[in-house]
Amino acid sequence: MDHRMTQAAPTLIEIPTVETDRLRLRAPRWSDFEAYAAFCASPRSAGVGGPYSRDAAFTRLTAVIGHWQLRGFGRWLVADRDTDAPLGIVGPFRPEDWPEPEIAWSVFEAAEGRGVAYEAALAARRYAYDVLGWTTAVSLTTPDNTRSIALAQRMGATRDGSYMHAEAGELYVWRHPGPEAP
Amino acid sequence: MIERLETERLILRRPTRADEAGAVAFYESDRSKFVGGPFKTHIAWSCWAADFGHWDLRGFGSFAVTMKGDDTCLGIVGPYYPATWPEFEIGWLIWPEAEGRGIAYEAARACVDHAFRDLGWETAVSYIDPENARSIALAERLGAVRDDAAPRPDPEDYVFRHPRPERPA
Repeated sequence: MDHRMTQAAPTLIEIPTVETDRLRLRAPRWSDFEAYAAFCASPRSAGVGGPYSRDAAFTRLTAVIGHWQLRGFGRWLVADRDTDAPLGIVGPFRPEDWPEPEIAWSVFEAAEGRGVAYEAALAARRYAYDVLGWTTAVSLTTPDNTRSIALAQRMGATRDGSYMHAEAGELYVWRHPGPEAP
Repeated sequence: MIERLETERLILRRPTRADEAGAVAFYESDRSKFVGGPFKTHIAWSCWAADFGHWDLRGFGSFAVTMKGDDTCLGIVGPYYPATWPEFEIGWLIWPEAEGRGIAYEAARACVDHAFRDLGWETAVSYIDPENARSIALAERLGAVRDDAAPRPDPEDYVFRHPRPERPA
């Protein structure tokens, strides 16, 4: 049999890169996997349904990339702009079982307490409004995720009811200020 | 990165979002029972999204299998290497409408050749549930043989090891 090679399928999109003062939001790479798997295995992933096994971490990280191809947008790997060290996963997110598109964030332990999530989530919200043309945006948190709730409030989001997720249970919906927000 | 293979009857290409309906339906259906399914819709969607991202993280991945002249995806076949796999695998998932025409065989044959020739693999296996008689038959048709000593992600699975394809002189 003849297996000739031809050019790549043209329908794939390239995940864009966004830079902030201290951060680079970019496509996840294999070199980010250990940091992501460590996050998934830790109690820090409880707010997103974890902890998750290493096997599940691989599926989840590959699905972060696949979300971009399927939706045309998605979450980035947040890296330190100077060292490229992986610090978190942040961006516009719309799984099948979600009430509407959200701005989502997960931050690894190495990034805690430095305002990384805030800086990245602001950039993601800006991208959603300016590039994706969203007219409104929410973020969902578990009711006990006090750090994420504090971040949503710091971004100017206000409580807009709850969403009952089939597996995660009650999720608080935080409505962000509109496209005029910083 | 090689994103397209051609066989006598088939084009194997990198998946696109147009392939979503068949893939999600597969993961939601009983046909996915040998890969952990059937899954709820949102998990099925994540499985499908993960098939995409494998390409980016590993530099290779499973191809959408299409007939020449019809771009409809009939299944997902190709090299597969999640983080916890002991070694490189050739996997195949075929949608029901493609059964019984030798499509899985032709696609898997091309992917085994691709893995050895283009990806430089030294060996390749397929992990198969002992109850998955169709997959076992396909592995045997490909010339793969049981390797009961090989490590495997699921202790219940069989490991079929593929022979290195013969090269033209």
